[in-house]
Amino acid sequence: MVTLLAAAVATLVFCAPGYPGGTGDAQPLVDQFASAAATAAGWPPGSLKAVYDPTEEGGLAKLGSPEAALAFVPYPFFVEHAAQLHLTPLVQANMVGTGPEERWTLVAKVGRVTGPASMSGYTIVSVAGYAPDFVRHWALAAWPLPPDVKIEATGQILSALRKVASGEKVAALLDQTQAAALPTLPFATDLKPVTQSPPLPVALIAVVDSRLPEARVRALQAALLKMGHEAGGADTLAALRLQGFVLPRLPDRPATPP
Amino acid sequence: MKRSVGCGVLILLLAACTAAPKRPTVQKPSADTVEGLAAAIAADAERSDRESDSKVRDELASQASRDAEACLTRDPQAAACLYGHAVALGLEAKAHPTRAGESLKNMLEALTSAEAADPNYDHAGPARVRALVLVRAPGWPLGPGDGDAGLVAARRAVVLQPQYPPNLLALAEALAKTGDANGARETYGRARDAAQALPSTAGRDDWLRAADQGLQHK
Repeated sequence: MVTLLAAAVATLVFCAPGYPGGTGDAQPLVDQFASAAATAAGWPPGSLKAVYDPTEEGGLAKLGSPEAALAFVPYPFFVEHAAQLHLTPLVQANMVGTGPEERWTLVAKVGRVTGPASMSGYTIVSVAGYAPDFVRHWALAAWPLPPDVKIEATGQILSALRKVASGEKVAALLDQTQAAALPTLPFATDLKPVTQSPPLPVALIAVVDSRLPEARVRALQAALLKMGHEAGGADTLAALRLQGFVLPRLPDRPATPP
Repeated sequence: MKRSVGCGVLILLLAACTAAPKRPTVQKPSADTVEGLAAAIAADAERSDRESDSKVRDELASQASRDAEACLTRDPQAAACLYGHAVALGLEAKAHPTRAGESLKNMLEALTSAEAADPNYDHAGPARVRALVLVRAPGWPLGPGDGDAGLVAARRAVVLQPQYPPNLLALAEALAKTGDANGARETYGRARDAAQALPSTAGRDDWLRAADQGLQHK
């Protein structure tokens, strides 16, 4: 698959597994973003459309369709599926309140987890649990998990943290926003952060399988990088909790500890 | 009485709001009484549920907010006004998703007051709407969503009004959200049975449709 015709309509697929919201809810916002981005890039009107899917399965299906030219996905999704989908990073999201990178924090019940080996038989729940490679080899690269540790996805992180606090053999891997809010929980004193990832990208826009002509890719990249600095663009981004985009700064794959 | 539910839903990088389907076609009574103002808010909510134009939804939210204020001025303790105030806040969350977190927090407080005033108002509406907000809103730390608490509220609504289909639909949704697929399926079936036992109305058709959709997704 090489390119779409320059005048063809490209689709930007937003996919955020584990985070709240449905396709219908998101559509007006992603439509607005696509329109603003295309205009800023000098693309013909209507040449970029957007779709949102809140599930990994649905997002993969949409990204597999020939018209899917761009993906806006969290970094765990990128790690898990970049090779399969032939994703090439275009820009890195700069999030309000977080920035372009974030650290992930593993949280356990106070006194229960003393090191990686003590997690034998545990289940790690996370909004990124759909991406076990990300959990094991990126977020917890320096914390080699025993092979019997299960990794599960959840959109109900509060329920998961209640299980952690109650003493079940459950730990929670939290994104930076969640970790920062831990002290607000009434049972926060029962929880303890046990390890933290290095800074990792939050989310990326990537080109799917080289399905766009290079000139359009470069025009879009330049426009996205400027978007956060222009009044209209900043307003559009704010609705998505974005403050702008930066050039991709992807970390090298961490070495697996012995 | 006809009521509708606004519910905020933030998305990863996004913010928006959805509303539950409810009974259409409300005849708007004179809005100079508590009952009239409450009915006007409900009518605005039902229109908003079906409205795709964000400017119109914004106007409906503003109108509902004015009606809620007028209602509370007339009778600050009336369940109808407190409940209407909650619904108006839901519409505000829907119209202004970037402020949805605060609106939904206030909505839950208003529902607490409404439930204290009359838990059976609108067929256990305060508990039912609370359940839907908690189940559908973004969870901690982005918003007030809490599936476990939503399930508790939904169970409370069903205890109060066990044959009202929307209460069963809310319970089924809460069960599904908290991982009880079998319980959700069984409760969608109960909702369907309860709706089928009612006379044919547009509302009943909505409930049957929602139950069928729930059964298909399980």
